Amino acid sequence: MMRGMIRMTDVELAKKRGEEHLKETLPAIRKSFAYEDTAYHLPISFALTGTSVHDLDTARDVFSKTGNNPIVASECLLAEKTATQGKENAPYTGFIGDTIIRKLGYSLVDGSILGLALVIGTPESPGAAAAICRELQEKYMLTFLAGPVISSLSDNGVKLGLEYRLIPLGSTPAYGIHFVDIIARVAMMFGGVTPGDASRLLAYATERAKAIVIVFPGLSDDEIALVDGMRVLGFPILSLGDYNGGAWLPADADTIVRKGMEEKGIRVNITAIPIPMGCSPAFEGKSIRKEEMYVEFGGGRSTAFELLRMLPAGEVTDGQVTVIGPEIDSMKEGSANPLGIVIDVAGKTMKKDYEPVLERRIHNFVNYGEGSWHVAQRDLIWVRLSKEAVAKGVRIEHLGKLLASKFRMDFPQLLDAVSVTLITDPVKVAEARAEAERIYEERDARIKGMRDNDVNTYYSCTLCQTFAPNHVCIITPERPALCGAISWLDGKIAYEISPSGANQPVEKGAVLNPQNGEFEGVNRFVRKASHGEIDRCSLYSVMEYPMTCCGCFEAIALMLPEVNGIMVVNREFKGLTPSGMSFSTLAGTIGGGAQTPGFAGISKNYILSDRFLQGEGGIERLVWMPSQLKDELKNRLVQKLADRGLKDLFDKIADETKATTIEELMVYLEKVGHPALVMKPLV
Amino acid sequence: MTADAQFGWSGTIGEVTLGATKAEGGTRRISYRIGGGTTLPFMEKENSSLTPLIAFEVCDYPKTWSPIVRNYCGDLVNDLCAWTKTADTTYRADLIRLHLNSTRQRDFSDIPAVGKTVEGVLSASSLPLIIEGSNEPKIDSEVFQRCGESGQGERLLLGTAEASHYRSIAAAALAYNHSLIAQSPIDVNLAKQLNILLKEIGVTRDHIIIDPYTGALGYGFEYSYSAMERIRFAALKGDSDLAMPIICSAADSLNIKEVREADPAMQDAVAVSWEFYTGIAAAAAGAEIICVRHPKTIGMLRQAFASMKARPGPAGVE
Repeated sequence: MMRGMIRMTDVELAKKRGEEHLKETLPAIRKSFAYEDTAYHLPISFALTGTSVHDLDTARDVFSKTGNNPIVASECLLAEKTATQGKENAPYTGFIGDTIIRKLGYSLVDGSILGLALVIGTPESPGAAAAICRELQEKYMLTFLAGPVISSLSDNGVKLGLEYRLIPLGSTPAYGIHFVDIIARVAMMFGGVTPGDASRLLAYATERAKAIVIVFPGLSDDEIALVDGMRVLGFPILSLGDYNGGAWLPADADTIVRKGMEEKGIRVNITAIPIPMGCSPAFEGKSIRKEEMYVEFGGGRSTAFELLRMLPAGEVTDGQVTVIGPEIDSMKEGSANPLGIVIDVAGKTMKKDYEPVLERRIHNFVNYGEGSWHVAQRDLIWVRLSKEAVAKGVRIEHLGKLLASKFRMDFPQLLDAVSVTLITDPVKVAEARAEAERIYEERDARIKGMRDNDVNTYYSCTLCQTFAPNHVCIITPERPALCGAISWLDGKIAYEISPSGANQPVEKGAVLNPQNGEFEGVNRFVRKASHGEIDRCSLYSVMEYPMTCCGCFEAIALMLPEVNGIMVVNREFKGLTPSGMSFSTLAGTIGGGAQTPGFAGISKNYILSDRFLQGEGGIERLVWMPSQLKDELKNRLVQKLADRGLKDLFDKIADETKATTIEELMVYLEKVGHPALVMKPLV
Repeated sequence: MTADAQFGWSGTIGEVTLGATKAEGGTRRISYRIGGGTTLPFMEKENSSLTPLIAFEVCDYPKTWSPIVRNYCGDLVNDLCAWTKTADTTYRADLIRLHLNSTRQRDFSDIPAVGKTVEGVLSASSLPLIIEGSNEPKIDSEVFQRCGESGQGERLLLGTAEASHYRSIAAAALAYNHSLIAQSPIDVNLAKQLNILLKEIGVTRDHIIIDPYTGALGYGFEYSYSAMERIRFAALKGDSDLAMPIICSAADSLNIKEVREADPAMQDAVAVSWEFYTGIAAAAAGAEIICVRHPKTIGMLRQAFASMKARPGPAGVE
């Protein structure tokens, strides 16, 4: 198409002329008018003002009430025209009655239609409109057509009608007004919008109506004013050629549908993953042993890493999977090979903070594969593919397809596009890993810095109420959930993804006791979420109003009044503790959603937090831990203690090799001079 | 001695209207306004709140229905309209609950038949109607659309919405002004979550009835009871997302081992007892609608409710 031949229309100027012209034309209305089969009069005017317009006087009234709105003028003028000249013949539908709108609205609520599109104007070539409409059909959009685009489609053999989700409204673009009167009625029928409540209508149209407008060339000034007026309803206006200026979004035919849908946040759901192996959480627990393995990656045997990063929307092609380097067929059976998994995501609501949380999902998703296995994270990953899967045709590429699909399926609100790059070339893996390591460090710095005092909102977790009915976890940046599985960021993201789910925001409110970490807002939340059972909750104390325990805690912290200290025992420890009880006896005593002063369920990482035992005077209270837990935390704990000037405390904390009874513990603590002995009495 | 049954509660159960009379735009001879409670059932100071309603369940594909009911009702089950009419006039149910279990057959596609069935049942009895639709994503959209349309104006109660399966039912309720049943698997939080999902899609509180899922007595009913109690406590304490009437269907009671293996001479009586006692317990936990499948259970429940409603005399007398 030769662009130079086409007159460019300045949208801004044309719109002004159009609005002026509509204003001049409106008083020319002579006849009274009314549409059939509707309880909503002229639906747009009725929804905006509550006035039923049937003649010039009421039309003028509503027009001025709405600030000379070009949509209102267009609605009145077309209604009079229809009354004067009668409805257009088939295939044109003209005004569509309430009965059909009810059905259309049903499909929208029901989800069998994803959104609505108006395609309007005169296509430059007959094929252009057909391709766009086919794409709209494929993406479950219900498309309304107005103007010469209709004859262009039917000349091109495209079938029109409700059953094809292509609805020809009328022969000129002015009939596009019916698109708006349909949305106004859906808002009143389904959205609880009362006639006359213009702000509710606009809010509904903007937030709920998933509508886009695609404009071909050839609109008159009046029609440009009409289409531009729809922006107020939050519909993106996408134009093909001919138009410049204004707030319309120019696009080309190949990408216009995708761009419009992205702009309005309309997403196509993925339901099946095109790979030659099963994919379900049912396979998650299954490991692949050495003898079942075809190839492996990482695990100390080769270079491997994974990285998920956010990119601007334009830079991620949804569903794209690229393998850089050799595929599975050129890898030797039983060998260890380099692998870099790089996932690029884009999404309107995606945030950089979410990257690490989403990245952790790679672990679950790869394990969902019937013949794929994954452990650890970042540059420590270890991935295997089974012989069975490879024999069925699974290739490296399919890992990418699995990941791309699962991320889109599980985070539809968050992600608009996901692409996966799998690097198997040894040189390129090393290069990419260096870059990934830089990003890991940046992230660590960001999260490490996060303190409870930096945020006003904590998150709750009530997942465990299924079996511990009154249990409420409060998750803060410095205190992960007691199961160790959910951090503050996880809680935040879970809430954003599923606003009515088990993780809810908790405004911490006024500080009641800074030492124990008791907050007015937290108390209020806990009281409600525990169904009135728990009135107070201190986040940093074991002794006074500790958090309730479900049963999932990684470890238990409990007081030992005889030695004026606190001990911690983790789930893996099978023996008796100096308290005289084993982990399982203790767990049975404190679980089930009860608040038990002197006992608290905690995650292992919480021991490393500055908030740990704050209410009791700090980590100096810690007198005993199983040796296994001590070893697990050693590097980080020693560092932490050194930072706090408690360099020698680590060795003063007893374990089962030093003491198994309270008497032995007392002897040991006195021998090493443990600071807890001289602290303020616990009870 | 009268116990204080208020416990300092401030919440009220929301009201839901079932059925529409001529004056209300429908063709039912009666409509019910259920809910409105401010304390536990059968403990009201004033004897004002409604006695639990009893719904009789019929179906359009009796082949998969309980053999106990098929034996008792005989040929009647093969004529849905006659069966419905009998449920109204002879069994004297308060409500009809139609199970469109024909839609649960593999590859079911006769959607127009759904509309005809609904219309038939609506004309066979003028009691308010509950409709239990399909449970298959491929046909749900069409089935519920058809139910909604066929019952337009009648304020049906449509079932059953679940967290994984609610959009079509919600759409039908919204489009044709019906109410719906929101079912969650014996869990107060999941019940609340589903109600919130429904609210987000636009279904208002006065169009939702909670089904906490009812296990048969001895087969998990204690969990159902506890979930119902907690839902009701939460509502009375002011949680509006749970302040809806409750419906219970003890349908499983007719299929349990004790009934299946009962002495043939006793089987019917055992089945009725099981359904009756499950129903009584559900009503005591707070259910506003009790659904039954055996005709004989209706009269027993009605009598029991009446005596539970009656004001007890002074302690020690009687």
